[in-house]
Amino acid sequence: MSHGSGGRASHTLIRELFASHLDNPYLRQNNDNARFDAPPGSLVMSVDSHVVSPIFFPGGDLGALAVHGTLNDVAMSGAVPLHLTAGFILEEGYPLADLERIVMSMARAAKDAGVEIIAGDTKVVERGHGDGVFITTTGIGVIPPGSARISGDAAQPGDAILISGSMGDHGAAIMLARESMDFDHAIQSDSAALHDLIAHMLRIVPNIHCLRDPTRGGLATTLNELAEQSNVGMVIEESAIPIQPQVAAVCELLGLDPLTLANEGKLIAICPPDQAQTLLKAMRAHPLGENAAIIGEVTEADAGMVQLVTGFGGRRILDWLAGTPLPRIC
Amino acid sequence: MQGRGVADALAAVSLRVIGRVQGVGFRPFIYRIAHQYGVAGWVRNAAGRVEIVAQAPETALTAFIDAITTQAPPLARPTVAGRETIDVEIGLSGFVIHHSAEGDPAEAGIPPDQFCCDDCLAEMRDPNQRRFRYPFINCTQCGPRYTIIDHLPYDRPHTSMAAFPLCDDCRAEYENPLDRRFHAQPLACPTCGPQLTFMQDGVRLNGNETGLRAAVAALRDGRIVAVKGIGGYHLICDAANAGAVARLRDLKPRPHKPLAVMPPLRGADGLAAARALAELTPVHAEALRDPLRPVVLCPKRADAPLCEGIAQGLGEVGLMLPYSPLHHLLTQDFGAALVCTSANISGEPVLTDNAEVETRLAHVAQAYLHHNRPIRRPADDGVFRIIDGAPRPLRLGRGCAPLELRLTQPVARPLLAVGGQMKNALALAWGERLILSPHIGDPGTQRGMRTFETTAAQLQQLYGVRAEAIAHDAHPDYSVTQWARAQDLPLIPVYHHEAHAAAMAGELAAEYDGDWLIFAWDGVGLGRDGTLWGGEALLGRPGAWKRVGSWRPFALPGGDAAARQPWRSAAALCWSLQQPFATPGLSREALQLLKQAWERGINAPVTSAVGRLFDAASALCGVCLEASFEGQGPMMLEAVCDAASAPLDLPLARNAEGVWVSDWAPLVAAMADADHAIAARSGLFHATLIAALLAQAQAVAADHPGALRVGLGGGVFQNRMLCEGALTALRGAGFDAHVGREIPMNDAGLAAGQIFEALASPRL
Ligand SMILES: [Fe+3]
Ligand SMILES: [Mg+2]
Ligand SMILES: [Zn+2]
Ligand SMILES: [Zn+2]
Repeated sequence: MSHGSGGRASHTLIRELFASHLDNPYLRQNNDNARFDAPPGSLVMSVDSHVVSPIFFPGGDLGALAVHGTLNDVAMSGAVPLHLTAGFILEEGYPLADLERIVMSMARAAKDAGVEIIAGDTKVVERGHGDGVFITTTGIGVIPPGSARISGDAAQPGDAILISGSMGDHGAAIMLARESMDFDHAIQSDSAALHDLIAHMLRIVPNIHCLRDPTRGGLATTLNELAEQSNVGMVIEESAIPIQPQVAAVCELLGLDPLTLANEGKLIAICPPDQAQTLLKAMRAHPLGENAAIIGEVTEADAGMVQLVTGFGGRRILDWLAGTPLPRIC
Repeated sequence: MQGRGVADALAAVSLRVIGRVQGVGFRPFIYRIAHQYGVAGWVRNAAGRVEIVAQAPETALTAFIDAITTQAPPLARPTVAGRETIDVEIGLSGFVIHHSAEGDPAEAGIPPDQFCCDDCLAEMRDPNQRRFRYPFINCTQCGPRYTIIDHLPYDRPHTSMAAFPLCDDCRAEYENPLDRRFHAQPLACPTCGPQLTFMQDGVRLNGNETGLRAAVAALRDGRIVAVKGIGGYHLICDAANAGAVARLRDLKPRPHKPLAVMPPLRGADGLAAARALAELTPVHAEALRDPLRPVVLCPKRADAPLCEGIAQGLGEVGLMLPYSPLHHLLTQDFGAALVCTSANISGEPVLTDNAEVETRLAHVAQAYLHHNRPIRRPADDGVFRIIDGAPRPLRLGRGCAPLELRLTQPVARPLLAVGGQMKNALALAWGERLILSPHIGDPGTQRGMRTFETTAAQLQQLYGVRAEAIAHDAHPDYSVTQWARAQDLPLIPVYHHEAHAAAMAGELAAEYDGDWLIFAWDGVGLGRDGTLWGGEALLGRPGAWKRVGSWRPFALPGGDAAARQPWRSAAALCWSLQQPFATPGLSREALQLLKQAWERGINAPVTSAVGRLFDAASALCGVCLEASFEGQGPMMLEAVCDAASAPLDLPLARNAEGVWVSDWAPLVAAMADADHAIAARSGLFHATLIAALLAQAQAVAADHPGALRVGLGGGVFQNRMLCEGALTALRGAGFDAHVGREIPMNDAGLAAGQIFEALASPRL
């Protein structure tokens, strides 16, 4: 099958594929734009381009990831997501059946999240000029009037640092799948949309200071970003960080740090210390926060530095993920 | 006294004395000999030098000038650098000490901390003296220096002794030029000086005798006591109490790394108690008695009254004589050897602050012996090992740091070198001076990084220089490299093994400036081709090295994890040869997964490190599969080595770049061969590496006719068997072979190497 030259036949096929799976009133209008009314409050937008290898992996696929990733970026502001748009870049010759699986997965993820994909675009590039499929999604959401400001620069000394669950699942799952390694104990990506968890958290603790999803570079990198942005220090208890035993085992064996592996369905929340227990309880009451934990606190000292308290009172500096980590022990 | 002959006319000179002449009682000494020889004139400190104007009959004047160097106090290292005849001043009489000229402090030197001198020791033991059993007794010849100085010039108000106003008796001594405590800056006595405080189970006891008695009682009870010394705290316990030592190991935690032991000073030469613990050669004895009072690795006696846990699986024990008066009192009152290990949390710099010790070491210390003289910056104990007939520093510390070296040519602009990752020390160079800091520790920890930063800032401030460029390891992720990048200064990256080679060549630059062939063997460091070097032979000189020798490269499964798990290196070698590998404690599935990752290059960087070959050998022999401290596998392998073994002949061939590459392949089967005793296998391994080194040297020498000096650098050569064996083999084959003397050959000397390398850089 060829859909390379943008010929009428393949063009129609692709259009039908999108139309049948993503069908909604906006797309049905058949305009090159989507018109909608904005509810009161501040609008939030985010865009993310998604590439993943392999495209289908345990616990998810590119389609679901493209929806979750952008929805989460919108939701980390405290916004309720409203709509998504999607742009596809397809490599000539990419199997339509696989494309259909991706689009169906996107549709399901969007439906589960309660949003619609209201505009889309597809481009086909020559064979060898792409890696299967790339998906760029844009999300728009609204922060209800009167909401407290949630921002990466808002962490205060004394604040508690929480995470919503185990670290490193997505990164470990992707690596094992990409390299088709023999590992009996299934490790699944945690790919999930977090706005419902966040809405639930904000209902109970409205004055959360920061929310962020520890995606690329993992918890280590994201905490460093927040520490730098807020100009504060952070002290994290290593033993408090939930890590699934099979993820810990793979990491230990391969010499990898689970704290630098990506997550796609977890968040970091920073809140005033007196709210920490309440927030923890709220998170644990939600299915996406069952394994939530308080992992540390924000400090005034050592601004910009994230410290990991290890056994026997050791304090290791938790670094940003290096590009290609090389051993440092001489 | 000189008689006054006819020809003995009055003469006058102006002298300029350089060298170690500050903080060592040098001016009072000049004052005394001036009186002795009837010399008139004056002496003063000026910009790190001492200036003297002396006038006397000619023969007396000559004797006086001779005495400056021949009779100098033990700590002084004076050199008369300038001597000018000046006009005789008629009627000049008397000799005076002028106050310091507040000149350019950059010329001054920071004296290291000094062990308690014999005079003070005798005085401390004399019940008739007012400093009888006073734990802070000192004089111009001894006491703390580096660790109490706030800034130069070195005067009491600029030290942490400023908080202790002198009593009348002490002031009289301080101001009397004929007293041995004249201008002894840390001068103290029981009336006006620092005091001990003992803390146990929440109860605090103040007072020197009370504190000492309680501490000794706690030690007798088998407790672990955190004791504040000169450059930081130690964790101290009874070296013969297996329970206490086991507890210390469990809770520090420090499961296997050897613990230093401090025997009391006994017998005519003070070493009687040390001799009960170790077989001391005259070189060991001399190193132990050195004023630096370092930890010296000494051959352990089979019948030593030490419990098994002190240096498990090793043939040597680290001994250190008491150095401060407090340590003398403790060991003397306790009456037997004490374990004396740095009070820190693994890899961090030694703790110095009273409150911080109580909070951070609460899990291990069962009592505390504090004092109230603040420590301005940490100085851990130095560690030396006797290799090739001389003590070689493995770690610079209290008493020997900052180490100062003279450069053969001035630096274009002040330069800071930030050193390596794990056992960091930094260096500063300006003018013709190079300063190497004491051991700092792991800058990958918060305290390590802060200590690194303050040491960098304080050394610059103390010497009055400001770095205008920074030399750093080429590895992008070393903590100190990241720090360097955040500074607003030009950077000079230096490849790890070129720094090791430059440290060796730079240290001996004054006596030899030709080309070197240097074997830089260590763990892993970033090499010019992007792989991890560690078994390189480099030809040339600082700034112009060419890789001429190496080892067959292999991929390291798990990267840094291999440094703590020697079995990983063993697996890598087996898998490289398509041989199976199994190890107890790991399932076949786990090893299969690791092997897949290794094949696919997931966290499996390529290396040629000899340190990892040692790890592999120790694992294949079954000596050490898992290491709890850096270098444990190689150390344990060396300890069981049968020195009389014959080598295997390893293939040696040029690779595509013309580098001579030794192939370790034949060693794999030999190491795993259970038909041979471990001692024989270890012996074969050492002998084979020595033979391979010699073969590389000879191959390179054949390619490059002409005189070549050979040097050995990098942490692998801390292995005495290997290092001495290689030197002997090289010398036997006609090479002039060397190993570092003053700069540690391991990563503790890296910063000095970075300086020498940067000096030759066009970027400076
Ligand atoms: Fe090294
Ligand atoms: Mg994003
Ligand atoms: Zn003294
Ligand atoms: Zn006094």
